[in-house]
Amino acid sequence: AAAGPERPQVVSHVQQALSYTVFDCKWVPRSARLLCLGSAARGTGLVQLYELHGARLQLLREIEKPKPIKCGTFGATSLQQRYLATGDFDGNLNIWNLEAPEIPVYSVKGHKEIINSIDGVGGLGIGEGAPEIVTGSRDGTVKVWDPRQNDTPVANMEPVQGESKRDCWTVAFGNAYNQEERVVCAGYDNGDIKLFDLKTMSLRWETNIKNGVCSVEFDRKDINMNKLVATSLEGKFHVFDMRTQHPTKGFASVSEKAQKSTIWQVRHLPQNRDIFMTSGGSGSLHLWKYEYPAQRSKKDSEGCEMGVAGSVSLLQNVTLSTQPISSLDWSPDKKGLCVCGAFDQTVRVLIVTKLNKI
Amino acid sequence: MPLWLREHSWRQTLTAVYLSLPLRGARATPANIFCGEQYLKVSIPPFLFEAILYAPIDDTNSTAKIGNGNIYFTLYKKEPAMWDSLTLANADKEKLQYLREMAVLKAQEKAKEETEAKKFTKQENKKYALEATMKVEEAERKRIEELKEKEWQKVTKELELWKNQQKDGDKYKSIQKKGELREEIEPLKERKKEKTNKTRIPKEGTSKTRLKSTKGDGSCSIFSPTLKEEQLPVPRAAATIKVNFTPRVFPTALRESHIAEEEEWLHKQAEARRIINSDLSELKDLKEEEKNPDWLKDKGNKMFAVGNYLGAVHAYNLAVKLNNKLPLLYLNRAACHLKLRNLHKAIEDSSKALELLTPPVPDNESARVKAHVRRGTAFCQLELYTEGLQDYEAALKIDPKNKNIEKDAEKIRHLIQGTIQSS
Repeated sequence: AAAGPERPQVVSHVQQALSYTVFDCKWVPRSARLLCLGSAARGTGLVQLYELHGARLQLLREIEKPKPIKCGTFGATSLQQRYLATGDFDGNLNIWNLEAPEIPVYSVKGHKEIINSIDGVGGLGIGEGAPEIVTGSRDGTVKVWDPRQNDTPVANMEPVQGESKRDCWTVAFGNAYNQEERVVCAGYDNGDIKLFDLKTMSLRWETNIKNGVCSVEFDRKDINMNKLVATSLEGKFHVFDMRTQHPTKGFASVSEKAQKSTIWQVRHLPQNRDIFMTSGGSGSLHLWKYEYPAQRSKKDSEGCEMGVAGSVSLLQNVTLSTQPISSLDWSPDKKGLCVCGAFDQTVRVLIVTKLNKI
Repeated sequence: MPLWLREHSWRQTLTAVYLSLPLRGARATPANIFCGEQYLKVSIPPFLFEAILYAPIDDTNSTAKIGNGNIYFTLYKKEPAMWDSLTLANADKEKLQYLREMAVLKAQEKAKEETEAKKFTKQENKKYALEATMKVEEAERKRIEELKEKEWQKVTKELELWKNQQKDGDKYKSIQKKGELREEIEPLKERKKEKTNKTRIPKEGTSKTRLKSTKGDGSCSIFSPTLKEEQLPVPRAAATIKVNFTPRVFPTALRESHIAEEEEWLHKQAEARRIINSDLSELKDLKEEEKNPDWLKDKGNKMFAVGNYLGAVHAYNLAVKLNNKLPLLYLNRAACHLKLRNLHKAIEDSSKALELLTPPVPDNESARVKAHVRRGTAFCQLELYTEGLQDYEAALKIDPKNKNIEKDAEKIRHLIQGTIQSS
């Protein structure tokens, strides 16, 4: 890490060795507590709740479930309830009250195969509209669930009859700036990125980035869609400017090749939507800043509006592990505090300093 | 024969001898002067001056100055004594030779010693330099470490502060909650009784916490939960969006670096499936694309889908002529024959397909199931129910979960029992 005076530094605050494989880690909103979700050696799922105490993590609670858990989100729950929605290896979507985790508050066998990715919107006092959860699975479908409606999804994006399915690796909500509007972005293993509009229940845009898509995220879920970052295999990521959609060319984008290995996750800083962190298969974290171009849209030869992509600059990078860092989460309450989980069975709490000066 | 320089003049003190040697126009350099302990030689070809000194001198400290066409020697005596003469008087040739050699040897030794000493000092200097750089780098590293430590401490302190704020915030909320709960226990009990009959678990959960979240308005608590629930829009009307994927043959994820390899593999596969048994006379009428069994199979499938069973059969026939090792061709042709009621041909084709679908692996499961079902159907339509049942049971063995096959197998069993009874 370069020690330039004004560059943000990534300080490793706490490291905790775990006795299981951690697939996802999330901050509990409005607290200094974090959750680790994963799979124990005997094939069961584990949820561990830790609290930050000085320079160490204290285990508050451990919950074991029959199936390994792949992903979780607090996105669709209210600040008072703080229920955790999880997707597991068997395709079950469950919502848990962590105070009483024996029986899920909501449970559905949503998919035939593992749920690779989950996202929630409409909760935590952010944005408006119904609370909804989207899950993407290896069975090729993306389903949107409303916790108030049992058993059936409110939207189902599935392959055409007879079409061979592709793994859906990642999903994200966006454009949820009022009660009606909402989009879901899904990334697949064959490089497809598809944008589904839930208001019109149609496919709004699709593209293929030539490498399997590992992670997609909008810079903010609850605003008119502004930017979308999609990371992929082979160390590449693309930043799409989502404000201007051209009828044939779609959205403008800029892409970077950060490293040789897969970029597993991208997460935007909740306090600044132009800063995001990518985590890599080589155990490294890169902190990026997006700069907008002078003009975000221009007219093409036929007078149609098309977007202009900006540029991305690397603020800092650090290598923490020899194994891939598969999950990353910024704390929504403390700027610069983040947690990451790696396949070396370690969860690390990091602090990124000097983000105010950017 | 060298020219001897003999015109030298000298004077002496107790400790030193001063010798002045005029050079007859010759130019002298330090290389020309050779001085040993008791031997002095100046050789500037063709001139030569040689002297065996009376007594040993200290050759390291003695000096020679070259200038003004002379060399001035300042020789420091080893033993302070007055010399009778500059050189040894009665020096015979042998002694001279011996002394010369000794002098040369000594000089060589001295030279060696000097180089050794130089090397040693050089090494010492290097070591010192290395140590100095190491110290400097250590200091730099320490400085950076300290900076990092400071950052870490600063950040930890901030974190603790923030955490404590959170804790206080939570405590305050929980105290509030307790106060509210006591006020609202009565209305809560009543509402609970109402709600338990109607609601499912999620709603109960939400109503409980909604009550918790109201801050202090005890009187409005009965009304505020319902208001809050109405603020959320109803769940969306369920709908499905059909998705098409960018086609990809391989089940693995797409990687740019592997695209070339994959293309090559596919190309080779396609080549292998092309004409492997061809009769040139028949084929020269065909167009390029018609020579591809895969293309013909697709054509056949399309014709089957629209109901043109004869056309489909023709397509499959041609494809088989090109490549008789593709089980799917026979399988599909069997389906066409079934529709055309060419039952024997259907049986033949299904059998051929099953032959080609060995070894039985999970990959060709669905194909084998279809083959068995089609053959079974053909048998039944020929009223050979036992053979038909055999095929249906084979299909069921491969795919036990298929309800249709089970139903049909049941029907056939009933039929068999019926015929046995009646006959």
